[in-house]
Amino acid sequence: MDRHVDLVVIGAGPGGYPAAIRAAQLGKRVLLVERDRLGGECLNYGCIPSKALIHTGNLIHAIERAGERGIETGPVKVDLVKLQQWKTSVVQRLVNGVGQLCKGNRVDVLSGHASFMGPNDLEIRKADGSDWVTFTDAIIATGGRPSDLPTFRFDGKRVISTKEALELPRVPQNFAIIGGGVSGLEIGMFYAKLGSRVVVIEIMEQLLPGTDPEAVRVVARNLQKLGVEVHVKSQARGWREDKGQTVVDIVTPEGLIARRADIILVTVGRRPNTDDLHAEVAGVEFGPRGYVKVDRQLRTSNPHVYAIGDVIGPPFLAHKATKEGLTAAEVIAGQPVELDVHAMPAAIFTDPEIATVGLQEAEANGQGRRTRVGRVPFAAIGRALTTGEYDGFVKLIADTDTKVLLGATIVGPDASDLISELTLAIEMGATLADIALTVHPHPTLPEAIMESAEAALGQAIHVLNR
Amino acid sequence: MAREFKLPDIGEGVHEGEVVKWFVKEGDAVKENDPVVEVMTDKVTVQIPSPVTGKILQLRAKEGEVVKVGSTLVVFGEAGEAVPIRPETAKPIAPPPAPARTEAPPAPSPTGDILAAPAVRRLAKELNVNLAAVRGSGPQGRLSEDDVRKAAHGPARTTVVAPPPAATAAPSGSEQRIPIHGLRKRIFEKMAKSNVTAAHFTYVEEVDMTQLVHLRDHLKPTADRKGVKLTFLPFFVKAILAALVEFPTLNASVDDERGEIVVKGYYNIGIATATDEGLTVTVVHDADKKGLWDLAKEIERLAAAARDKKLSLQDVQGSTFTITSLGKEGGIFATPIINWPEVAILGIHKIEKRPVVRDDQIAIREMMYMSCSFDHRVVDGHVGAAFVQAVRNYLEHPATIFVETG
Repeated sequence: MDRHVDLVVIGAGPGGYPAAIRAAQLGKRVLLVERDRLGGECLNYGCIPSKALIHTGNLIHAIERAGERGIETGPVKVDLVKLQQWKTSVVQRLVNGVGQLCKGNRVDVLSGHASFMGPNDLEIRKADGSDWVTFTDAIIATGGRPSDLPTFRFDGKRVISTKEALELPRVPQNFAIIGGGVSGLEIGMFYAKLGSRVVVIEIMEQLLPGTDPEAVRVVARNLQKLGVEVHVKSQARGWREDKGQTVVDIVTPEGLIARRADIILVTVGRRPNTDDLHAEVAGVEFGPRGYVKVDRQLRTSNPHVYAIGDVIGPPFLAHKATKEGLTAAEVIAGQPVELDVHAMPAAIFTDPEIATVGLQEAEANGQGRRTRVGRVPFAAIGRALTTGEYDGFVKLIADTDTKVLLGATIVGPDASDLISELTLAIEMGATLADIALTVHPHPTLPEAIMESAEAALGQAIHVLNR
Repeated sequence: MAREFKLPDIGEGVHEGEVVKWFVKEGDAVKENDPVVEVMTDKVTVQIPSPVTGKILQLRAKEGEVVKVGSTLVVFGEAGEAVPIRPETAKPIAPPPAPARTEAPPAPSPTGDILAAPAVRRLAKELNVNLAAVRGSGPQGRLSEDDVRKAAHGPARTTVVAPPPAATAAPSGSEQRIPIHGLRKRIFEKMAKSNVTAAHFTYVEEVDMTQLVHLRDHLKPTADRKGVKLTFLPFFVKAILAALVEFPTLNASVDDERGEIVVKGYYNIGIATATDEGLTVTVVHDADKKGLWDLAKEIERLAAAARDKKLSLQDVQGSTFTITSLGKEGGIFATPIINWPEVAILGIHKIEKRPVVRDDQIAIREMMYMSCSFDHRVVDGHVGAAFVQAVRNYLEHPATIFVETG
């Protein structure tokens, strides 16, 4: 079947489907092509299932520690199969929701695999043959996929990616994780709570490279409490069979060690999904590491082809893809907009959570910027003590002269929720005084934000000012 | 030790001021009380003297720049002292707005460099305003939607005024570019606002001033003895006050935002006064409670203060009805622009001997035209006409000015 559409969006992940819906809202006839499942990696194999599991892991952990508050429980048993079914139902519900939203906004959804055939046409290979589609504009939203290593090739059973790690039917006894980044630690902590013996191997000097070292230390302490073995500045050299067991050889600064592993999770980065797309046929140029090159309006070297999300490069964040998707759709609809984000928040669902936005302390120092830092531990916040979760702190970074908020790091309970206040503050150009003067309800965790602003101004109430 | 001098709170309702003129430059030595800078607010121009004896280390605002109350204007120090760290207000002026569409490099926005909320930034994009070149009116220069709209619609108080091009840039004599700032900018804004807001109509009448000229001549020796300069203005104020009592809706203003006419129960008569910088309206407060001599003295004081730039905030705000006197250059008639949000303005022209017909005879009389503009939204034609006739009546029979109305 041949047809022409105003806009074809390739990939229905967190970048693609909002782009399709927004363009349809703005009057475009839109075709959304997805080769796998609506919602993409985020909804099906990433953010959503991992959070469903992580939340459950925290619940188990809380039950195990309920004794100190007088709650008597027996040993906690987890039926992982049942847990996976529940998780799948959550995912399915959201996938169905995306389908309904597309339908309700008159976005045509086509299940198939798109390849460019020229600057304004695509072939879409479906289960029952091929469609030929010509388009006025196109958005590449094909995302990325986990990278593996030459010595650790994904086999879906023993050497796995995050996707399989979130679908395991049994809790592995020994779990090796190569890469101590966001996914590695989130999944590692979850399985540690379910009873796995977890070993994390990170090549850089610290876990979560690039994240505030002070915040990472809080998580590292908890990893230790959970019995997770961490090796930084270390490299997994390979794996082998030894007496019916899988063993990973690790080069650590202290020398070569070997660890048993039923499952080896490789989380060392992502690569763009461009292989079968043939975007070069449409005149789309690529950057150094295979990411699609775009300008601030998300336009590629083909003025009618746009690209958004993981396929244009890091940071790999679903909400970044969404923002880019909406912007691209608005540009295509003729609006004079461009990507204009002052503060891109990021959330890490470790225990405790870490969330960051804007300029970080090390970055600011690196730029030679004069900053003022306010830091308040959650241990000073009544609400945190009542929940028993008070590891961590809020840290605000502001300009010394103007007191304008530049960035924030939160490590602690509900950090991922707390960061949005600070993201809004940065986008609105708020100063420390704006935050300090805003009344925050008591007793709540966001009081830590207000207190940090006061601390940066040298007048906190609940911590002593230096 | 370096000492930052901040723009002080100069009066009620004033949040910012525009640097009109620096009397010093960086590196100059100053003595306490030497004039440092002239700052113009919405209401008044003030000269700010040096609070210390020392050296000017740094000026933190350019002429024409709007600074907030409480932000640093100038850094004083002692001779030989270095300038402290570069502050936010000393940012170089950004390049002029350029249509930046797809050609812009894919660089991420640097955090904190432009202080504007997301919706404001989007508006700027729509209106093709380069935010880096606009100075925000909010704290730390935070940009509002209003700032962006003003920047989009030509010169506005929030934009950084570009310096005039160097003399070599254009052949001399062809054109001159004068930055619009200071009082001139206030006049720009206020006149345009009045002209687009009020529905002006002007009514002109001729007044026989002979009796009033005689009265003034008669009072002259008394005035000299009292040391008061007696012009015609106090008489006009008296005549207008008497007429305003009869026509209270002319002593009023329009609250356009709330859609209300505010009729004033007090009488503050504004007098448009020419100064070197431009037009200023000085205000005689509670004019109805003053006698002729007090009015004369007050008018004289205001004129001198305007000339010497010594007007206080009180001297230039709160007028309820304004007189504009064109004096000797008065011409025949004019179409005065209302001192918005007032509803009427009375313009007076030169007094000169003209032949007129009196009792079927040609007579030589002291004649004068009056041009009175009204906001037709508030003032109907016949009301405006009747008001002018009342003023004329008082002026032609000056004794009646001093008779209680009733």
